[in-house]
Amino acid sequence: MKMKKFLALGLCAMMAVTTFVSCGSSDSGSGEGPTGDITVVSREEGSGTRGAFVELMGVMDEEENDITTQNAEVTNSTSVMMQTVAGNDAAIGYVSLGSLSDDVKALKVDGVEATVDNVKSGDYKVARPFNIVKGKNVSELAQDFEKYIMSEEGQATVAEEGYIREDNTEEYTASGLSGKITLAGSTSVAPVMEVLAEGYKALNPDVEIEIQQTGSGAGIESAIAGTCDLGMSSRALTEDELAQGLTVTEIATDGIAVIVNNNNTIEDLTTDIIGQIFKGEITTWDEVTK
Amino acid sequence: MEISRNQFKEKIMKLVFLVTAMASIIAVIVICGFLFVNGVPAIKEIGVKEFLLGMEWLPMQEIFGILPMIVGSIYVTAGAIIIGVPIGIFSAVYLVRFCNEKVYKIVKPAVELMAGIPSIVYGFFGLVVIVPAFQTIFGGSGKGLLTASLLLGIMILPTIISVVESSLRAVPEHYYEGALALGATRERSMFFVTLPAAKSGVLAGVALGIGRAIGETMAVVMVAGNQPIIPDSILSGVRTMTSNVVLEMGYASGLHREALIATAVVLFVFILLINLSFSALKRRAD
Repeated sequence: MKMKKFLALGLCAMMAVTTFVSCGSSDSGSGEGPTGDITVVSREEGSGTRGAFVELMGVMDEEENDITTQNAEVTNSTSVMMQTVAGNDAAIGYVSLGSLSDDVKALKVDGVEATVDNVKSGDYKVARPFNIVKGKNVSELAQDFEKYIMSEEGQATVAEEGYIREDNTEEYTASGLSGKITLAGSTSVAPVMEVLAEGYKALNPDVEIEIQQTGSGAGIESAIAGTCDLGMSSRALTEDELAQGLTVTEIATDGIAVIVNNNNTIEDLTTDIIGQIFKGEITTWDEVTK
Repeated sequence: MEISRNQFKEKIMKLVFLVTAMASIIAVIVICGFLFVNGVPAIKEIGVKEFLLGMEWLPMQEIFGILPMIVGSIYVTAGAIIIGVPIGIFSAVYLVRFCNEKVYKIVKPAVELMAGIPSIVYGFFGLVVIVPAFQTIFGGSGKGLLTASLLLGIMILPTIISVVESSLRAVPEHYYEGALALGATRERSMFFVTLPAAKSGVLAGVALGIGRAIGETMAVVMVAGNQPIIPDSILSGVRTMTSNVVLEMGYASGLHREALIATAVVLFVFILLINLSFSALKRRAD
């Protein structure tokens, strides 16, 4: 008897809470543009995408420290980022241009649409380099692979994968070398590197290529330590890293798209406002639409 | 001749068994060694107080304070226990005493299947089902302490149910019958006689549940929001120690990397303390 009463009471309380809360949130959605609190979604500290984003959007203080708001959600995966923004009307985040899909909406930044052409022409400013990093003792084979990546054929692959290619290319002829190349580093660079590796192996069947996705920082570190032949980095190298005697080759450029939910009516934001959102100075959509 | 060969074989096999028995101990020692050798110098460099009680985690500026993560882990685990333990114990009681055989044949394999689902699948389920649901119910982003606690509460159910169930079954039947004979109802006999008699098993189940909850990573990282702040409400985002390590390990280098390993050291100490206090509790309960 007592038990039943308890249960009924609990259910009532739950219903009350539900109605109360849904009342509270139902006043959003009407009128022009999104309202309510912004859900800021960021990548984790140390990510190449985040490093490039905060630099380009000015989410930094005078000493160039990353000052992304501590209230930002953090994820270390592109798919969780996409899923979060696709499922939350109030969310704003950023992803590599290569992994953009219809599930979310890419904003224009300062009036410029995030497309490959605009990144290439330099109109769309939110872009970063994809680098490969060589230590002091690079094998002949690894150098040959680099030559392939920078060739017309390799750069055509880069463009096909949705990134921005380099233009000064040379012809590549199969070297007939054999052996194994190990690459380590950025998870953003890895997908295009897989495709490049396939293309290289088609020309040089005796070569084995291993790609480890460890992140930019770890990739650069392995290149310094010599535990991999080539490191992959999706950000510019720091002075400390360059002082270790590394050679850097830019193999492609990747745009970073600022993404919001498809239901969001905003199409265009300025660098300044995006920066303020990620700094936590603007916290509601009402301030943005004003 | 024949005998000495047999003796030789015997000795060899003894050695083989000794090595296999040692394997787990060696693994534990090596892991401990790795953690402390890499983590303790980092804690020293950062400063014990700054590291354990620091409120800010800004690795790029070399500020490493993990108090928000310690508090986050405790909150999330406590939430999981509040949700998971009552459901787990009631389910076990139901399975042992009140359900008929047909239901048991369905529920028991289902619980066992739950234990076998990889945690990343739980995480994805949380991200696409629980998060949007909480968004519509509570507003906000839907990610945070409550979401993580609910998901973990579900994840620790199979552990708690199976341990509590087997410990309830180990209680001699005449305890229950004796209580009935004294005029107690079935529910009362179960909850006030059989369950207290199985106390040490129940505690073990809860301890295992806590261990799983505090150590869970992949599911939590997808639904907790991962803000390195001390949550100010149950809907606020939270970062646990495990998610701190897994989020940033890929890109970390230098002191940042060592600080992440040091976070794992703190987690390790926590789990050690939990295990020790539960075995002390258990000894008193016995």
